[in-house]
Amino acid sequence: MHAGWGHVALAGAWGALVGLERRAFLQAMFSRPLVAATGMGLLLGQLQTGLYLGMVLELFYLGTASLGAALPENDTLAASGTTAAAAMMAAQTGGGGTPAIWSLSLILFAGLGLLGRAVDRRVEAYSATLSAHGLELAEHGELERAVRQNLWGIWPYAAVYFVLNVGCAALGMWIGTFLSQVPLVVLRGLAWAFPAMASVAAAIAARGSRARNAALWGLVGAATMTAATLVLAWVSE
Amino acid sequence: MIGPGTHLSRSVELRVFLRSLLLQASWNPKGMQNLGLVYALYPALQVLYPDPEKRREAVQRHLTFFNTHPYVAAAIVGGVLYHEERIAAGEEDPRRVNEFKGALMGPLAALGDGFFWLSLRPAAGALCAALVPWLGAWAAVLFLVLYNVVHFTLRAQLFRMGLQLGDRLVEAVARAHLPSRGARLRAVAAASAGAAAAYLAFAFGAQQGGVGGWLLAGGCLALGALSYVLVARKVPTAVLTAMAALLAGCLGAWL
Repeated sequence: MHAGWGHVALAGAWGALVGLERRAFLQAMFSRPLVAATGMGLLLGQLQTGLYLGMVLELFYLGTASLGAALPENDTLAASGTTAAAAMMAAQTGGGGTPAIWSLSLILFAGLGLLGRAVDRRVEAYSATLSAHGLELAEHGELERAVRQNLWGIWPYAAVYFVLNVGCAALGMWIGTFLSQVPLVVLRGLAWAFPAMASVAAAIAARGSRARNAALWGLVGAATMTAATLVLAWVSE
Repeated sequence: MIGPGTHLSRSVELRVFLRSLLLQASWNPKGMQNLGLVYALYPALQVLYPDPEKRREAVQRHLTFFNTHPYVAAAIVGGVLYHEERIAAGEEDPRRVNEFKGALMGPLAALGDGFFWLSLRPAAGALCAALVPWLGAWAAVLFLVLYNVVHFTLRAQLFRMGLQLGDRLVEAVARAHLPSRGARLRAVAAASAGAAAAYLAFAFGAQQGGVGGWLLAGGCLALGALSYVLVARKVPTAVLTAMAALLAGCLGAWL
């Protein structure tokens, strides 16, 4: 599959949808990295890329939450933008996604979570003006218009996350044209970096679970999976 | 019948519930969810207060600061309707509804954060992330189903409780034992994260093959354990991830 501008637009549309679902509407968790990245991968014809990036980013951001007025890093933009870029890189190479491409995307687009948080702050400041305007309208008895101010808070999320995801996808498409020139030794190093980053993400997740005896539970999970893998390997031999 | 003394119809209640899904559309640092709350309540206020002046007072009553967990807010929205029906009928002082909101939004926010954000979501997320190798894209679908069956059921129940019980909803919410259920869910999240780490280490080790594969698998498991300790000692996660990538990258390139 070859990457095209249609795919870039599609990445923007999905990014906008999950971006506004995260905060402005519903919050049924379509915006979680596992869903946002898988959906992005599926739409761009790179499902495996979406799945593995979604899995790792879900673990990485497992413990983050918007508590009270605190604003955490934007896990949705991190997932949708990183996956859009990785999927476009993979498509440009003409093959499927590889751990080297996933690592490269995670490294290059690591700042998206922080960028998303900065954007969220700006949108909140805009929403404060809507609230003030709503109060003013209510005082003058224009109640319908006052309550409708709430809906004006939705469009900035859709617009900003559309643009940002389009940017990530376009950047991924551009970077993809250079991938064939990357030396094999660097690609091999990047391929090893992916499971290493995934291990760190899992450790962050176990810690972020806030479970009592989280280390013990994590160990039980890892031991069970190790035993199951070894038994399966032994049986298949 | 429209106006004071009326009971809201099911269709108005449903409209208020559906509009409460937009509670955070204009979340802002000053009033927080104030505009979202008024937007949700407006269809009911239109029915309860046919007199424009009374309706204006009701809208202004709810444009004050309001912030709670977006799901458990359904209980407060239902409770506000319970009180507004009585205020419109002249049975209650209008201040009563703001006292109700003020008393409940903090405790319910803590309850919602603890159960949904810090327990159910991590448990469903980590479990389904660990199931990705077996279920593929269905892992994401399973996550949405697991999470939203609980989310929407509780959200609808809380709205109904608020509507029927008013202030007494606190006792009903306490009977749900959400904090103790949350503790079990957090253990599921930690165990699933450990399982995912082990799977990824072995899967990528097997892909590499040979001695290098065993080194990669063992190294990743050790790195995971070390990272757990370092995260506990407040080492920034970005630094840890970058160091892990650099270390593994150099080893992979060298071997």
